[in-house]
Amino acid sequence: MSRMMKLSAVIVILLVITSGCWNLREPDELSFITAAGLDYNEQGQLEVTSQIAVPAAISGSQEGGGGNKKSFVVVGGTGKNVMDAGQSLQAQLPRTLFYAHRQTILIGERIARNGLGSLTDMFIRNPKSEMRSSILVVKGGMAKDVLNIEPMFDPYISTMLVREQSAVGAKPYYYRQFLADALCETMQPLLPAVEVTPNNHYRYVGSAIMNKDDNLKLVGFLNAKESSYANWIIGRQSALTITARVGPGKEEVSLSAKALSKKLRFEMLDPPRITVTLQGTGIMTENNSSLNPSKSGDLKQIEKDLSRETQEEVQAMVDKVQKQYRMDIFGFGEFVHRDHPRRWKSFHGKWSRTFPALRIVVKVELQAKDPGQTNTTIDRML
Amino acid sequence: MKLTRMQLFWIVATIEVVMAVWLRISPAITDAKQDAWLSILIGGLMGLAMTFFVVHLSMLHPNESLAEFSQKLLGKWLGRLVILPYLTAWFILAGDVMRTFADFIHLILLDSTPVWVIMLLMLALMLYMTLNGGLSGIGRFCEIAGPVTLAALVVSFLLNLGNIEWHYMKPFYADSGWQAILKASYPPASFFGESFMLLVIVSYLDKPRKAMPASLLSVAITLLFVIAAAITCLLVFGPNVAAKMRFPYFMLVRTIDIFNFIQNLDIFVIFIWVFGVFAKLSFYLFLTSSEMARSARIHNWRKLIWFTAPMILVIAAVIPNEDSIEPLQKLWRLIVIPICAIGIPLILWIVTLVRKTPTHA
Repeated sequence: MSRMMKLSAVIVILLVITSGCWNLREPDELSFITAAGLDYNEQGQLEVTSQIAVPAAISGSQEGGGGNKKSFVVVGGTGKNVMDAGQSLQAQLPRTLFYAHRQTILIGERIARNGLGSLTDMFIRNPKSEMRSSILVVKGGMAKDVLNIEPMFDPYISTMLVREQSAVGAKPYYYRQFLADALCETMQPLLPAVEVTPNNHYRYVGSAIMNKDDNLKLVGFLNAKESSYANWIIGRQSALTITARVGPGKEEVSLSAKALSKKLRFEMLDPPRITVTLQGTGIMTENNSSLNPSKSGDLKQIEKDLSRETQEEVQAMVDKVQKQYRMDIFGFGEFVHRDHPRRWKSFHGKWSRTFPALRIVVKVELQAKDPGQTNTTIDRML
Repeated sequence: MKLTRMQLFWIVATIEVVMAVWLRISPAITDAKQDAWLSILIGGLMGLAMTFFVVHLSMLHPNESLAEFSQKLLGKWLGRLVILPYLTAWFILAGDVMRTFADFIHLILLDSTPVWVIMLLMLALMLYMTLNGGLSGIGRFCEIAGPVTLAALVVSFLLNLGNIEWHYMKPFYADSGWQAILKASYPPASFFGESFMLLVIVSYLDKPRKAMPASLLSVAITLLFVIAAAITCLLVFGPNVAAKMRFPYFMLVRTIDIFNFIQNLDIFVIFIWVFGVFAKLSFYLFLTSSEMARSARIHNWRKLIWFTAPMILVIAAVIPNEDSIEPLQKLWRLIVIPICAIGIPLILWIVTLVRKTPTHA
């Protein structure tokens, strides 16, 4: 009997303590952040904007809601740093902020120009934070404007921004990669960039070059095409449609290249030389020229012209980055460090001066594996 | 209270892997960068050597634990004195683990629950386990918790395959050089050296003469998993980011994201990790109580739990903060391991040989 008493006493105590009333958190007491935006407002204060999911609007009929039930709300608050602004954000929400579903971090251009350096800490330190989020820069605008865009397919703009990157053939760029780039010795982070269009939609506009030697300040932008070439060199591009003028008539041919690969070679000359070989194979998807890709001679011609024109464009992009921005966004320094560690000793600590003086040679080798669904040219068919 | 070899294997593997994967990866990465796995490998080999030595010593005295054969070899008082450093080390280790566990749960999960409540709950479970099950209970628990822990580790590695970037491992050796690698290998060696507790538990084996393969294998398996965890952390985060994290393995699990659908798995891993912590703490509760009892020739070791359990709790509670855990680990590296895993066993081994020689002659 006394054993029973003891047992029940233990059970009662355990029931009281382990039910964890201190930390009771029901889902309806949480506000799920799906995206966060960082801006400086007109007064120069840090403004953190969060897009909060409204679960009630999703659980019901997704299209029936119409305009009156939005799937998200956007709230903003200002403060001394990210968490301080988070406090004023919380003051407008009856539910505790919950970070684990945040998919996107958006950086307003004004903040990017001032330097991101001091704002990155919270995302790694806060135990409630995640490093799975992707990170983007808003070109010529504020992050909160992007968060306020009415999303098209998905209930949240954050999901769309992540998928947009895959849709244009790039691999999504996550916060942990951003951090790894920012913390390694030489590679300068290249963040994807979006802008708000006049009809209140967003557009992927390429990428932003950040200078980590100067508090991660924005140095400049690359347009969408340049970004895809840069990402190809970095190894973050998985597909790309290339259009070039070929043949004697200089007419356009498009190649949807899939298996993109790159090879880097380093030679210790004066100045040091980096040879970038970019390779891609794909399917011909548009041919307005008089050349017939099913003939091997014509196909060779098309491939040659495609490669040559792309090579010129990539070289122009590389020159622009090297001469105008002087930022090693391609990770050439890291490549020399990794694959030629002995040689690296002589560059250690002065790569930012070496990079603009490098001789960078770009070679592009494109292959059309398949001429597409027709084996003749439109000219002949007409 | 007998232990099978299987149970011995799982006890050692569970209690070592749990803390090593959680806490000891980022210090190694801080020191040796992308060559941290090599440091851990070298440290693990040193750990295996220490394990071999202490198990060999224990097997020379079958069915006698450290407290008993030290008294047999060194006399009653000196033999008792020799136990003191061990008890101190185990108390500190248990208190340290208890505190780290409670702080972590407090930081990540139960931020408004007082730390002492978390510790008290764990203590209640430990008391139940140790009083009711004793060593064989702990052994049987480890036979379940150990495989589950290792399986969870494997799953977490596999789910991270998509996040891997191979170039983070390069360049091999050139950045650090053998001096840094060797220097970084001693801390891992010190936590693999935790296996000096085998001095006690080999005596509980049903077939003590066959203790060696199980002991070495368990340390080797632990080593394998710690290396795998270090490599996965390196490949996903790169040496610079991984070195900055306090709990890189935990962040690794948080990084898992399969099709935007399988995410936030950290809670499962914490759950499984708590199994291991529980096994470890219960084991040290038993170890301190039973060795104190044997050394003082108290027949019923269970009585001593009412001293050892509060002791562990007090040590855990007086650790002021994260800052003072580092000196404790230094103490472990620089004093405990040289004395308890090498010094005293060496003395005991020499005395054993000296005493044995006449009988053979």
